[in-house]
Amino acid sequence: MEARDDDEMATAGAQLLMAAGNGSSGPTMDVALKIWRFDSETGERELKQYEVEAPEWSCLLDVLDIVKDRVDGTLSYRKSCRMMICGSCGMRMDGAAVLACKERMKPIVDAGHVPVISAMGNLPILKDLVVDMGPFWDKFKAMKPWLQPGFDEPADGKEYRVSQERMNVIHKEALCINCGCCVSECNSMESDPEFLGPQALAKGMRFVGDARDGATVERLEEYNSEHGIWDCTRCYFCNERCPKGVDPRDAIAKLGAESIKHGIDRDMGAKHAKWFVKSAETTGWLRETELVPKTQGIVSSIKEMKFAMGLARKGKVPPPFPPHVADRVEESRKLRELTKTQGRDGALGIVQGERGLARIEHTDRGGARRDVPETDPTEPPVLRDLS
Amino acid sequence: MEAKHDVLIVGAGCAGMRAAIEAHDAGADVAIISKIHPVRSHSGAAEGGINAALGNASDDDPEKHAYDTVKGSDYLGDQDAIQVLCDEAPGDVYELENWGAVFSRTEDGRIAQRPFGAAGEPRTAYAADITGHVLIQVLYEQLVKRDILVYEEYFAWRLVVDDDRCQGVISWDLVNGGLHAIGAKTVILATGGAGRLYAGTTNAYACTGDGMTMALQAGVALKDMEMMQFHPTTLSPSGVLITEGCRGEGAYLLNADGERFLKRYAPNAMELASRDVISRAEQTEIDEGRGVDGSVLLDLRHLGAERILERLHGTRELSMTFALVDPIHDPIPVRPGSHYHMGGVDTDVWGLTSLEGLYAAGEVACVSVHGANRLGGNALMETITYGKRSGRHAAEWALSNTTVTVPPSAVSDAERDLRTLLDRTDGERPWRIRDELATTMHENFGVFRRESQMQQQGEIVAGLRERYERVLVEDKGNVFNTDLTQALELGFLLDLADCMVVCGLARKESRGAHARPYDYPDRDDENFLRHTLVTWNGEGPVLDWRPVTMTKWQPQVRSY
Amino acid sequence: MTTVAYYKGCLASLSAKELDTSTQALAPKVGLDLIELESVTCCGAGDIHEAEPDYYLHLNARILAYAEATGSDTLMTVCNVCTLNLRQANFQLQNDEALLARINDNLATVGVPRYSGGVEVKHLLWLIAEGEGYERLKEAAHKGLKGLRVAPFYGCQILRPSKLLGFEDPDRPWSLEAIIEACGGEPVDYPAKIKCCGFPIIQAREETALGELIQPLEQAVEAGADAMVTPCPLCHLSLDAWQSKLKKATGRDFKMPILHLSQLIGVAAGLTDSELKFKRHVVSVGPVLEKLAT
Repeated sequence: MEARDDDEMATAGAQLLMAAGNGSSGPTMDVALKIWRFDSETGERELKQYEVEAPEWSCLLDVLDIVKDRVDGTLSYRKSCRMMICGSCGMRMDGAAVLACKERMKPIVDAGHVPVISAMGNLPILKDLVVDMGPFWDKFKAMKPWLQPGFDEPADGKEYRVSQERMNVIHKEALCINCGCCVSECNSMESDPEFLGPQALAKGMRFVGDARDGATVERLEEYNSEHGIWDCTRCYFCNERCPKGVDPRDAIAKLGAESIKHGIDRDMGAKHAKWFVKSAETTGWLRETELVPKTQGIVSSIKEMKFAMGLARKGKVPPPFPPHVADRVEESRKLRELTKTQGRDGALGIVQGERGLARIEHTDRGGARRDVPETDPTEPPVLRDLS
Repeated sequence: MEAKHDVLIVGAGCAGMRAAIEAHDAGADVAIISKIHPVRSHSGAAEGGINAALGNASDDDPEKHAYDTVKGSDYLGDQDAIQVLCDEAPGDVYELENWGAVFSRTEDGRIAQRPFGAAGEPRTAYAADITGHVLIQVLYEQLVKRDILVYEEYFAWRLVVDDDRCQGVISWDLVNGGLHAIGAKTVILATGGAGRLYAGTTNAYACTGDGMTMALQAGVALKDMEMMQFHPTTLSPSGVLITEGCRGEGAYLLNADGERFLKRYAPNAMELASRDVISRAEQTEIDEGRGVDGSVLLDLRHLGAERILERLHGTRELSMTFALVDPIHDPIPVRPGSHYHMGGVDTDVWGLTSLEGLYAAGEVACVSVHGANRLGGNALMETITYGKRSGRHAAEWALSNTTVTVPPSAVSDAERDLRTLLDRTDGERPWRIRDELATTMHENFGVFRRESQMQQQGEIVAGLRERYERVLVEDKGNVFNTDLTQALELGFLLDLADCMVVCGLARKESRGAHARPYDYPDRDDENFLRHTLVTWNGEGPVLDWRPVTMTKWQPQVRSY
Repeated sequence: MTTVAYYKGCLASLSAKELDTSTQALAPKVGLDLIELESVTCCGAGDIHEAEPDYYLHLNARILAYAEATGSDTLMTVCNVCTLNLRQANFQLQNDEALLARINDNLATVGVPRYSGGVEVKHLLWLIAEGEGYERLKEAAHKGLKGLRVAPFYGCQILRPSKLLGFEDPDRPWSLEAIIEACGGEPVDYPAKIKCCGFPIIQAREETALGELIQPLEQAVEAGADAMVTPCPLCHLSLDAWQSKLKKATGRDFKMPILHLSQLIGVAAGLTDSELKFKRHVVSVGPVLEKLAT
């Protein structure tokens, strides 16, 4: 290293600062946001608009920081890493949960959109953009989320020998950072607040799919409860919102596959699913009429008689005989037989497709989201008393 | 005073959680205070891996690991502490795996290890490029399994010292508001580093040196405070970490001419030289006009899409989100940024400080395992091994010692100080002070340091501390008042900046991360083979020294 | 005319026959020549994907193989669930040679032609929401809807996961609105149009499903819609046939007519009663027809 004079050093320092992104230099833009403020001490809710100048590379979190620092220090939100790994900054932008540190603001500003920022859904709001994560962590803990090793402990006191391929079964579930974005948008949980939900169930799959865990059957029994696997409505909001690519819906489907593989199939949801399989391997087409009794049982079906008659009158209950059989259905039957022998049963049938799906390029949907009406997010969307 | 525990841990990252698990298993009543939920801790952002001489990728042993660490520390590391780490590392890593850590695997199903900076053998065990995340998850799982109490979102502010003993912690309940004194026979500080002292940093907002300042104010010495590691590959402009694992997988560092410039600085190790060597090399290239927009380029293209998607998926995500660059097609712009603090609370090899009942482990501590420069992968290892050791020692001590006393004055003093801060209606908002501190530290106490700038920085910090006396908290509420806690964090940082500058000026040599190419370009083992020690005399830092513990290795010329 | 392979799925074959008849009648009017796939089965829905996922992949690969065998490069669907299932299987096969090889070996073993990955799966909705299809649609919808207020209900699996569907922004879809306008109707906006109707769990978790189902119905009524339109026969079934269950549970009688996409256009295009088959609906479409008759 050679000594250099002060001028060069100062230049280098300034260069470093310019690129350092401390907000004091570089191109800026004017950003406007609306934020739902909520004061739990007074119960007051208010939609407030803020306009600030922010660096062009800013994400939503950076803009919130500027608002809090320079405009309104009472604004509260969680943050820490600002690099999409700690999971602190989950919040809604235009009614859809995101990580604030991940959302670039420039495309939104360029589109002339003023986003509405609010707290995540399905969880009680403590203040402004801060939710009470208590119920979230309770469900996490309900999964018994720790390894319960099987009998084969490593003899030499070292590591369990597990192939990379076998570990890859839970590669996606292991990515979860517990941010809550999936839970925020879960349609099923909105209707049934006790639903274990995408985050907890994905964590459950993390263990069910881990070769070292010996409690698979006990876990699956537990996750097959009333508010478990089969409570998922398959809306795919969780897959859509997850900022890490965990795909919780797929984790839930893997749990379903493993449950049925292990013969844990007493739930109506499991019976419903198995009837589709039966249909495909016998007649090819869904045997709709028998679906109700096969799912719900005879007794329940009899209770449904009036409803069923209403459907039947409109021709929606085709007679089961003669069955509607697909052309060359024996091909389907033979394919079923083949899949039984090729070692891709249970969750592996879903895992096998992940390699190909990972290669699809994510299209950048940067830009404004839909215009949500300025409704108060702390009010439930509809009055739902179905008792 | 409300609760009392045998072992109270401040901070719930890898070190804090590992300590808690150990203390619990040793039979102690354990609790953790954390200002953020445990899984949010910045340990989770670590990417590249954790070092242990497992021997899965090559013939390796703890001795080699220890030598690499000693050399990497530029001989400032205490060799007994380093030996302990390297000896215990393999067992500690196996334990994590047995608990369920999701490591990447070798062909024969063992824990995979990759080459890393300044390591003679590939010994960095990894989980793709999200190793920290995987460890945080497994430790939290084990925490939940044992149902260990966590004072979640409690902001620890001060230590309670009475009768020459640490008696507990005073903290602010962030969720509901209000100060609480939590008594404990032992307290383990595990609050991480202080990267937020700098404008360009890989660190989270939460990394504000809380535990260091708390210990300092309680009369405990801080060691090697001038030693801040600048990681060579932080993303431009945001500063987020781009893992050394990229270079472990074979990535190149290029300047504006497309040259692998490290051949002129570290011809043998090239991109896998020690971090301080590479940061200096990059800074020199940038300063001499061979940078691109104040950065150099990290080129992954030749690794191929398959390998990038499988092993460096997280890196790609970061690069695409924050720099709009896809590393499969384009090189990533990177530059040095503050990353890891080698310095910290002075402890022995059990994590014990000079104050009875007070321990420290992880980045907040300085044992010293890393000396003047840390090897990639050793930080995570330190959190586990020393977290475990301090947890055990604290538990054993607590179980054989008696009561806790938190004097009422400790609480009322804290309440009064807090009231003063909150009641102020006129003053300066924290962000200005915070930003000025960060930019000036970056300019005057960065990769390259010189006497005049460090002197100047000392004055700047003094000025900022004066302004801090009038800092204004706008939010006067009780619920989730992060305006308050952020102001308190700024207070922590200011005290530490003071200490760092004093130590930087005192160390008149270049060693490891402390580079003074203009006035003291060489290492001076005769005079400076010793640690700086600062204590607080009520007004400011007081400097002292302690020799390095050497067992096997004498200082050599350090080149890569 | 564009030739497409036509996969109608289970419901259009049986309980939602009206979807098939209206689609087949409409197709030539919007420039689509349909080659109906005969040797195919149920796509498996989310159920086989969850119960026997390897079988799900094979069933869909077979459908894709037969579609490719028609010589067309487009497979047209008329159901959200079929669309997602087929597209997901297609992406898995197109992007993983080893997987495709194994599946093809199995297909060949049972006598199904091998699939080379040359088909793209598109819902009827996408074929007529833009471009040439949209132009033909406008011409075909000559009778018009006379300003009928129609609330579009997208449902889930035509929008999400957007990585697999990707026709439009899942949070700001526009295709149904564009089609309603092209047919001379007035689209009605409301938040729940992209939310879930609850159909997948309407048997196994009825209460949860009804809690979801009520949202679009309630909001559409409140927004003043005369009718709702949906591209998915499963959503149609829950919105239409389960309105009576909602009445039983809440006391509210929504009386909201639900139309299949092909029926909405079909009305505007002058299809006959026997092609539209409104009599098969549980909730009477009468009020809509009366409005249009005036």
